[in-house]
Parts: sequence; structure tokens; C-alpha cells
Amino acid sequence: MNLGFVVGVFGVLILSHAAYSTIQYRGLLKIMEEEFSRPPMNVIVELIIGLALCMWAALTFPGKFLSIHPDSDENRAVSLPDNSEFMIFNHRGRLFPPQIDMKF
Amino acid sequence: MGSVEKRSKDVMSDIPTFSAENLQNNLKVIQNSRTFLSIIAGVLAGIIGFNGLTGFVFYFVVMLITSVGLMAKAGFSADLYFDSLNRVLFDGFLGGLMSFVLFWTFAYDLVHIF
Repeated sequence: MNLGFVVGVFGVLILSHAAYSTIQYRGLLKIMEEEFSRPPMNVIVELIIGLALCMWAALTFPGKFLSIHPDSDENRAVSLPDNSEFMIFNHRGRLFPPQIDMKF
Repeated sequence: MGSVEKRSKDVMSDIPTFSAENLQNNLKVIQNSRTFLSIIAGVLAGIIGFNGLTGFVFYFVVMLITSVGLMAKAGFSADLYFDSLNRVLFDGFLGGLMSFVLFWTFAYDLVHIF
């Protein structure tokens, strides 16, 4: 498991702890017969921390962006696919001059 | 390794040719990020106890922050990874709204009503 996943799990744990604290706070308000307007300050801080951690995990865990530029170094035109045995090169296309300069 | 797919006869210009497999991968990454953050935003809105329009405003705020984050991840140059800027900014906005509302009501019930 890479770092993004661990950070995401941590963020979710912090969020659930904040939910539990809010439930307890509501129970306390019911005893004191007051209205619930917003969670207490420490819960809000915890929620902001949890949101920041989950946001960081959501941006790093699903994967990297791959370049779609055909000329970049990691997009090589010639690779070894699985069906390389089915490829033939002795067809009519060999009479055409190469029109593009592809990186091999 | 991505496979190159030619979209037009004119192969000297770079714009129509790109690797479609990598573009799909990038779109999948954005979709996953947005869905996960919609769920987290829903849980947050339920815990804080938003009612009505405030919750939807919160959702749009979180989605805007996500867009900024995705742009930062793409290095603020979208044409290296996507074919148009609108994709990275607005793709998956409304699909996440339903997940947001689902988890918003779920968390709200759990914390405030149960």
C-alpha cells in the first residue's frame, strides 16, 4: 500500500472520530436542553484536517497523469505488444516512403 | 507504453494525434478523484449539519477546490495531458452530486437524528 492510501485511510478515521464527537456533543446538548447550531470548535478543526488529508489522498492515490503527446519520451511508437507474432511487414505498405519521423 | 492513434491524414501537425489510451487513463483518474471527494464532502456536510441550499454551496466549493487541485496535479498545462481544458475542470461535476447527496443524508441521519 502506498502513501496515498494510508493518508486516505487516516483522513477517513479522523472524519469518523469527528462524527463520534459530534454525536456525543449532541447528547450533551440534549441533556442541557439547548439548540444545536454547529459542532464545537475542536470538531471543526478536526474536520478541516480530515478534509485536507482526504483531498491530498484523492489527488495522489488514483494514479499519475500520463502524457498524451506522441513525441514525448515515454510514448514510444514501437513497443513489443503481445501479438507481435501476428504482425507481418511484407505487405504493400513497404513501398510507401516514411512520412513522419517517429521515434523508435 | 501507449499506442499512437492517427486521427487525420496530416501527420505533420501535432494537434490531432495523441495517445488515446493515455487520455482515457487520465480521465479515469479524474473521475476517481472527484467521486471520492464527493463522498467525503457528503460525509462532512452531514456531520456539520448543513440544511438545504448551504449544503449544495458547500459541494460546489469542494468541487472548485478539487478542480484547482487537479490543475495543480497536471502542472497547470492541460494540453500535455488532455485535449481540452474543459475536461479537467468540469468533467464529473454532476455525477458526483448524487453521491454527495446520498452520503450527506446518510451522515446527517447518523449524527443528528439517530
